[in-house]
Amino acid sequence: MESSEELIEYVSYDGEDHLPLIMGLVDKELSEPYSIFTYRYFVYLWPQLCFLAFHGGKCVGTVVCKMGEHRNTYRGYIAMLVVIDSYRGRGIATQLVTRSIQVMMESGCEEVTLEAEVTNKGALALYGRLGFIRAKRLFRYYLNGVDAFRLKLLFPRPHSGLIDFNTHPLSMS
Amino acid sequence: MAGTIAEEATVDLPLPERTPIPSGDHSVWADVSPLLDAACQDLQDGMLIHGDNFNLFAAMSALEIMDPKMDSGIVCKYYSVDEAIEDGAAPVPISSDRTVDVQCTIDIMDHLLACEATWHKGHSLAQTVFSCIYLLRPDRTSSHALLHSYCRVVRATCKTVVSVVSDARTHEEEDLFTMSYGLALHGDGDDKCLSMLNAVEETVNRQLRACKAPSLKRRVLEDFVPLQNNLELEEGYCKALLCRLRFRKHFYHVLTCMKRPQGRGLELARKHIASCISELECILNSSEFLRSRTVGTHEGSIEDKTTASGCQPIGFDASLNCRLSAPTPPRSIKILSWKKAIEYFMKLLHDLDVICSCPLDLSLESVLHFVAEFQKSLPDLVARAHLQRLLVEDGKLYGRDPVFGVITRAAAVPDATRIHDVQKHESIVHLGQLVINLLKILCTNSAWQRRKLGKILQDWRVVYIQLEMAFRKESGENTNFSNDENVCRNVVQHILVWVEEQTYWIASRFLILGFELELYSHSEFCMVYWYIYVVLIKILEKKSLKMAVSNDSGKRRGKKKRDSVKDVARDIRIPPAILFLQCQICLAEGLTTMLAALRNEHMMVQSPSPFNTEHERFIQHFELLQKACIPDQSSYPLFKDSTIQTRLSNLVRYDHFKDAQKIVKEVKSSFSNNPEKSAELRRLEQVAEHNSIALNIISRAAALDPSLKVSFEFNHHPYFATAVVKRS
Repeated sequence: MESSEELIEYVSYDGEDHLPLIMGLVDKELSEPYSIFTYRYFVYLWPQLCFLAFHGGKCVGTVVCKMGEHRNTYRGYIAMLVVIDSYRGRGIATQLVTRSIQVMMESGCEEVTLEAEVTNKGALALYGRLGFIRAKRLFRYYLNGVDAFRLKLLFPRPHSGLIDFNTHPLSMS
Repeated sequence: MAGTIAEEATVDLPLPERTPIPSGDHSVWADVSPLLDAACQDLQDGMLIHGDNFNLFAAMSALEIMDPKMDSGIVCKYYSVDEAIEDGAAPVPISSDRTVDVQCTIDIMDHLLACEATWHKGHSLAQTVFSCIYLLRPDRTSSHALLHSYCRVVRATCKTVVSVVSDARTHEEEDLFTMSYGLALHGDGDDKCLSMLNAVEETVNRQLRACKAPSLKRRVLEDFVPLQNNLELEEGYCKALLCRLRFRKHFYHVLTCMKRPQGRGLELARKHIASCISELECILNSSEFLRSRTVGTHEGSIEDKTTASGCQPIGFDASLNCRLSAPTPPRSIKILSWKKAIEYFMKLLHDLDVICSCPLDLSLESVLHFVAEFQKSLPDLVARAHLQRLLVEDGKLYGRDPVFGVITRAAAVPDATRIHDVQKHESIVHLGQLVINLLKILCTNSAWQRRKLGKILQDWRVVYIQLEMAFRKESGENTNFSNDENVCRNVVQHILVWVEEQTYWIASRFLILGFELELYSHSEFCMVYWYIYVVLIKILEKKSLKMAVSNDSGKRRGKKKRDSVKDVARDIRIPPAILFLQCQICLAEGLTTMLAALRNEHMMVQSPSPFNTEHERFIQHFELLQKACIPDQSSYPLFKDSTIQTRLSNLVRYDHFKDAQKIVKEVKSSFSNNPEKSAELRRLEQVAEHNSIALNIISRAAALDPSLKVSFEFNHHPYFATAVVKRS
């Protein structure tokens, strides 16, 4: 395990040359196609959140994310995460996602979110280990009728920022 | 975005040629391929041409032309319905050979049923039922009595179902379901569909009787025309047709009966439901005959076919409506198999039957319980919409009982004081709306339901505070209370207690649904059971308070006789409803402490997350409850303090599961007439028993045998887990 991990190189998104590699990986995995504009939207605005995994010269995995203000919360969103079949089970996806989340945390995100199929045990275990909870279940979220979980990771807040529930306006006297 | 606007292209090009595509009123088609080619030469990698109003949202919504997955304009076979018809895609009659015509008609009926079931299951009308060309052009079938009447009934049925689901208006998945723009859902004369269907049924019935009669009799009927020309097959085809026609008739009756206000048609609906089920069984049985009639080999398994005969039906094309289907280009969908469609309708009919058997005089608490029980069978959208429509109509329960009365009965307000000016008070009106809204929410699918239940917690808290403040102010201004004001205060006091109980009930349902929806990982069970424990304690408190306030009112009225020893004994004995709650509390406490002990003694290892702690996960799971202070001060530090000291040795001494078992034994007899409650008690007992045993094993053997592994499964109860001890 360790020796093959040493062979995996993790690289930040570097420009237009990386885009076809990302598209190639993601298009193969997804049943719902993305137009090229969608890819450009993510990697042009948030290149620092996009990582690729290389083995030798071959791109074997990628993660694509965004972050921004959403209802008064600065939040990160993991849009796409793919590792090619033969390279799964080696922790590559965890490495990719961890890098993105680290950047999100350092950039001031309060939380990170994504959706995953309820049947995707691998993804659910991966994100669960990183501290994500299953915040909601979305009925028939995907076009094939499968439900999704909305996964959310809340970063620890500084203690002074926590609401004091004892003096909360809705507190029962 | 980097590298966006291209420089103004100045390229000399010939004028775009007109194409053979006919121009419309406001459009002319021209081929711009040369222009696009030139633009491509000019652009660098990563550059994008966009106009001023091509923003990020537009970028995300863009589609690639000619990609069939994205571009609904890609023509599959026909440009329009009319072209399909001209090409003979939906002939009328279907065949000049009447036997073939009948066979094909039956195939169309079967496929329509499969389409209808697919629609109910969550696809658009346009891609399912209205993929039928015959339905899209209602007038074309007027010369074909069978097809015409059947199509009419299907259209009328769909229209009725759309209106019931639209009325429910919960904005969950029904948004896609009710979209019928551009579809011929309202045909002229569709409301007379039943009389047309009856006439056709009568004809086929005569044809059936005739083919079974001896030949002499048959010759006597001069103007008699058989269904088709092959005498040997007449009986089989007549029977196959009759059950299909009758099913449609009875199903339409079910829907119209259930639509009648205030549940007036429920009993009659049940009779039609029974007829539907029996006709569906006949339809199933007809498949043997129909399959034997078809010529040629069957490709693929019969299991996937959308018709009883296994043949492809004539006259269907899902791509004709693709521009009407949905905002985003539709993906091709798979129509349910005929067998699965019949299974779906069987289930729908059973669910509707349960709804029709709902007593119309239930207390609010019983209604809530009825809905929760009904939801356990996982009913689909159409069934749930019908339940909601029965319960909530015109802002009243059953369309009949005003909400204020429902609330005062639920709050156990004594009889004489029920009609009062209190009901006009703003907060009371608001409370009424919350009750109606709660009933509607409880009829939705559990995923959507849980989200809504979480959101309304704050509304219920707010209404409590408003009520309390409003009536405290009113009563605080006078020291001499008039009789009326006393009565008013009494009513509000009852209602306030009830509102709190109801709020905690909503919270408990929110937490419990998390198990059904698989939202909790095993490492989170401890905090979830702790929170459930805390909420159940509050429900117990409010329920007991409600009963005490009721008893007080009774005493004040002087109606309660406390002379006999029996009465005194009854007062001292804890009511069964309270004991039932206490049993659940014991289980929740037992599970919390067992999980805490296992963690504290390192028998359930959870590797720490690199990005956050249990505190953050606690905040996230219970955020909506915490915001509404339900209950007050149930913070993470409190949870930690309550559980950090727990050890297995304590638990064997104070075994909450054994307490639960004792309570079950005591309360069993009180619920002997209630099969649901008895079944639930049995389940609780199983959980208690197994967990108590597991606890014993773990506490005795764990220290000696490090290979023991404990896991938690829901094999005895949907939300109270059972510990399973194994050697790894």
